[in-house]
Amino acid sequence: MVEFALPKNSKVGKGRIFKAPAGSKKTKEFKVYRWSPDDGNNPVIDTYELDLTRVGPMVLDALIYIKNEVDQTLTFRRSCREGICGSCAMNIDGVNTLACLKPIEEVKKAVAIYPLPHMPVVKDLIPDLTAAYAQLRSIEPWLKSDTNPPPDAERRQSMEERSKLDGMWECILCFCCTTSCPSYWWNGDKYLGPATLLAAYRWIADSRDEYTGERLDALEDPLKLYACRTIMNCTQSCPKGLNPAEAIGKIKQLQLERKG
Amino acid sequence: MAGNDNLQIQVMRSQLGRVRGLGAAKSGVEHWWVERVTSIALLPLTIWFVVAVLMHLGAPQAVVAHWAGRTVNTVLLLALVMLTFYHMQLGLQVVIDDYVNDAKSHLATSLANKGAALILALFAIVAILRMAFKAPAA
Repeated sequence: MVEFALPKNSKVGKGRIFKAPAGSKKTKEFKVYRWSPDDGNNPVIDTYELDLTRVGPMVLDALIYIKNEVDQTLTFRRSCREGICGSCAMNIDGVNTLACLKPIEEVKKAVAIYPLPHMPVVKDLIPDLTAAYAQLRSIEPWLKSDTNPPPDAERRQSMEERSKLDGMWECILCFCCTTSCPSYWWNGDKYLGPATLLAAYRWIADSRDEYTGERLDALEDPLKLYACRTIMNCTQSCPKGLNPAEAIGKIKQLQLERKG
Repeated sequence: MAGNDNLQIQVMRSQLGRVRGLGAAKSGVEHWWVERVTSIALLPLTIWFVVAVLMHLGAPQAVVAHWAGRTVNTVLLLALVMLTFYHMQLGLQVVIDDYVNDAKSHLATSLANKGAALILALFAIVAILRMAFKAPAA
């Protein structure tokens, strides 16, 4: 059966409190999930009080400030700091998003920061995404074609054909959507999740790809695809404003269409 | 190794192998589509049924049985209960797929769900037919 409560070793305890330095003009609390695989302890929530006049505007700025100035042991992924790499995906104020795109101002009370939900945690804010990456790999997200490309040119698409990929090529694979999906929480070992299904539809919709039928075959499964219950958390959480739920709906439509 | 039990890795199969698993079942479209079609069909049927019942509030049993015995009403009532129980079974199956993960309990609950829907539907159908064939045809 589905587990409705956290396992014993995942119960979150109280952590340390890092007070704001004296003379802070604009303090804000950041409550950050901390867990280390090394000490055998349960996770805790550490509280960092920061002076916002010394910190950049985004939540990622605050995390970097904490790591540089307050507590070097805080562990998180980040790279581009402009919403294009997808590394700093985490759960902020109850919503999966990119820390680099989330303004601190948008959070009214203390800023609660957790790793992406329902994934194994490597350390602190770093989730283990290897299973999700394997799911992406399983839908073979690359061009498959039996027709050779023109010897001296690229494969061509009309403007109209190309426009069908809009809203999908922009996905940066941060997995905010997949890890916000209750269907994925309950059946993540079988359900592929919105990020992977969006990528699958990106290749189904590609006019240059010649394996559309095989791609639809590989998805036609009560759980791989149809575990989507149109909850729409995916679309709501996408920090790039994409619509994975719509892509999943289109895959279902095509599977229906080919039944005749 | 006694002290290292928690370090023992039980699954060494690659992530890709686990994800591919037994492959796609090549089903699911029909379940999804029929669930939607039956729900749309049930909208007018259910409204018709509720209105009809409200219009017979306080009527004696014989009048209701006579109403149910009219061919149109018998057919619509049968359609209503068959679609309702079929739709119910499809919907509950989705809940079972979501929340019952263990293979054995999944099979048991799935069979119980389908069996219960079938028996309940048969009860309703027999009740309707009894009313239909008792009343004079009209």
